Amino acid sequence: MSRSLDHLDKLENQSIFIIREAYSQFRNIALLWSIGKDSTTLMWLVRKAFFGKIPFPILHIDTTYKFKEIYDFRDKYAKEWGLNLIVARNEDAVANGMGPDKSKFECCNQLKTIALKQAIAREKFKALLLGIRRDEHGIRAKERVFSPRDEDFEWDYKDQPPELWDQYKTKATEEEHLRVHPLLGWIEVDIWDYVKRENIPIPELYFAKNGKRFRSIGCECCCGPVESDADTIDKIVQELKTTQISERSGRAQDKEDDYMMQKLRSLGYM
Amino acid sequence: MKIDTDKKIVLIGLDGVPYNMIEEFSQDGTMPNMAKLISDGVFRKSESTIPEISSVAWSSTITGKNPGEHGIFGFTDLHKNSYQLKFPNFNDLKEEPFWQQWDCESVIINVPSTYPSHEINGVHISGFVSIDINKSVSPSSLIPTLMDMDYRLDVDSSKAHESMDLFLEDLDKTLSARIDCYRYLWANRSWQFFMLVFTGTDRLMHFLYEAYEDKNHKYHDKFLEHFRKIDSVIGEISERISDKDTLLLMSDHGFERLDYDVYLNRLLIDENLLSFTAGANPSLENISNDTIAFVMDPGRVYINYSDKYPRGYVDRGDKDKIISKLKTLFSKLKISNKNVIRDIYTKDEIFFGKYIDDAPDLTLVANEGFNLKAMMKTPGLYSKGIFTGKHTQDTAFLLAKGISSDAIGEKPKVSDVRSILESTIK
Repeated sequence: MSRSLDHLDKLENQSIFIIREAYSQFRNIALLWSIGKDSTTLMWLVRKAFFGKIPFPILHIDTTYKFKEIYDFRDKYAKEWGLNLIVARNEDAVANGMGPDKSKFECCNQLKTIALKQAIAREKFKALLLGIRRDEHGIRAKERVFSPRDEDFEWDYKDQPPELWDQYKTKATEEEHLRVHPLLGWIEVDIWDYVKRENIPIPELYFAKNGKRFRSIGCECCCGPVESDADTIDKIVQELKTTQISERSGRAQDKEDDYMMQKLRSLGYM
Repeated sequence: MKIDTDKKIVLIGLDGVPYNMIEEFSQDGTMPNMAKLISDGVFRKSESTIPEISSVAWSSTITGKNPGEHGIFGFTDLHKNSYQLKFPNFNDLKEEPFWQQWDCESVIINVPSTYPSHEINGVHISGFVSIDINKSVSPSSLIPTLMDMDYRLDVDSSKAHESMDLFLEDLDKTLSARIDCYRYLWANRSWQFFMLVFTGTDRLMHFLYEAYEDKNHKYHDKFLEHFRKIDSVIGEISERISDKDTLLLMSDHGFERLDYDVYLNRLLIDENLLSFTAGANPSLENISNDTIAFVMDPGRVYINYSDKYPRGYVDRGDKDKIISKLKTLFSKLKISNKNVIRDIYTKDEIFFGKYIDDAPDLTLVANEGFNLKAMMKTPGLYSKGIFTGKHTQDTAFLLAKGISSDAIGEKPKVSDVRSILESTIK
């Protein structure tokens, strides 16, 4: 039941088209690299789009709580692929000891969201390439390939430009930056099929060790492994076809609890 | 239970709307359709659950059970043998909602505390606190249709903290989408039971109860507009049902003006009944091992029993002594020369059922104007923040057409709604 090469070729072509379109429109863009399988796949496509030499920076938001494997992987391939890597931290929050023990939501907000805002303001990026996929989480179901955000990152999905007949709207107003999602139409198993076909390096954390593996990676403190014996890509693809557990299950409950807490707080119920 | 094939039952919820407001709006022309129903039907003041919050009240409404039976005591709870917070959801509800036991197709829209949605004979779209649309809609094949309607699970209340105009705009869009959704499912499914809850009313009253009271308030007209729009839907629904059908409208709790938020854990801290491990943030997870009691929202008091919690302190033998001490402390609490607490209930007084062990040891109901809170990091014992309205326990409403006043009684409770509806099925 493996997906045909045609399918992957089509996805690849589409993504490369979006990547080139974004660069030609904005020039001052960056690729947001979390070092996970999706943004590393996106990196691979970006390298293909520009024949191995990426003409813009790669942005890594460093919370300081990532797995050691992630840092090692980042440094190794930044060198090997000749990346213009910008590592951004919210230095004040790090210095003040912000961590998941304070509040997971606040920690994400300070070390990810605010760190990213600071980096965008500092580097004056007009657009960011992100490796998100529509099937990842229900709150992403309405995302678009070109998704405008205002300076507070508010995303009004109803006010989004229509994307009919591939006429992606790519203009951003002065105060906005545009999020560009070249992988939006890919699903989890497409990523794995493509990683295998192209032999894309990804962190070892994804492969099973002692009966556990990570399906989604990020900060060490907030990621849980899933039970699995899948230690090769083939086994991972096989597992995905039979599992009922969602990709972000290692993180989903925490995230969902955080959203709930925010909603309850905004009404004074907590 | 089987509903006659030519009969329909419709239950409309107006989250948090108090009896007196319905009475006023039906007399002053804001809700003419409601006025007509009142003159044709049975209109009663009703009682919410204790505590008077939506998660508990709707859980009791849809099961007809006591919290001790259905297991939901608040929006938050603790994991077993732990101080770690959890957020009980529909999967934690220990009793089946009545629609599962009625042998008919149902459409259920936006009932609070029914997330994640469950597969039913019909359609179930869950309400507050729904997070992920993929887990809120059953059957999931409906999701694209809802997306096209710009369906919103809930108004984004965080907007009210930044801009009331943006909040009101979102509130109205959320209501419009809810109305589109009801019209679509009303017409396109062959249901016999239809339940629709409007929750924007509760959100509106939390932030803008003062706009209701003050006719010169900037948002007074916006406030009325929301209720007018709901009234027109109520008119539409009344037109669409026949004399054989049953229509019941209700709120899960009432509302009134909020004068002060009162921080009960602060009181316990000041009285040396609650403390935290040295240097740690004041939070439940950092409770010290000589803590006597702590509070969870809104006014649920738990004794830190040594056989129940990891850093438990109180021996069961001291229960009566501690309860009487806490009762004295809370009953004496005064702000601006007014008693804050109206009633204090021990668990045996108000809860019964298999899950009574999980119930709070004491549950407090506040006097008019006081909003009980469990926040640990507070500006003092009390303060006044952004919220201008608060829940009430004894001023909810119930309005029925096609049900005898005997079946409803003089002072119904939200947990009676099930048996009231079932009285029309026989």
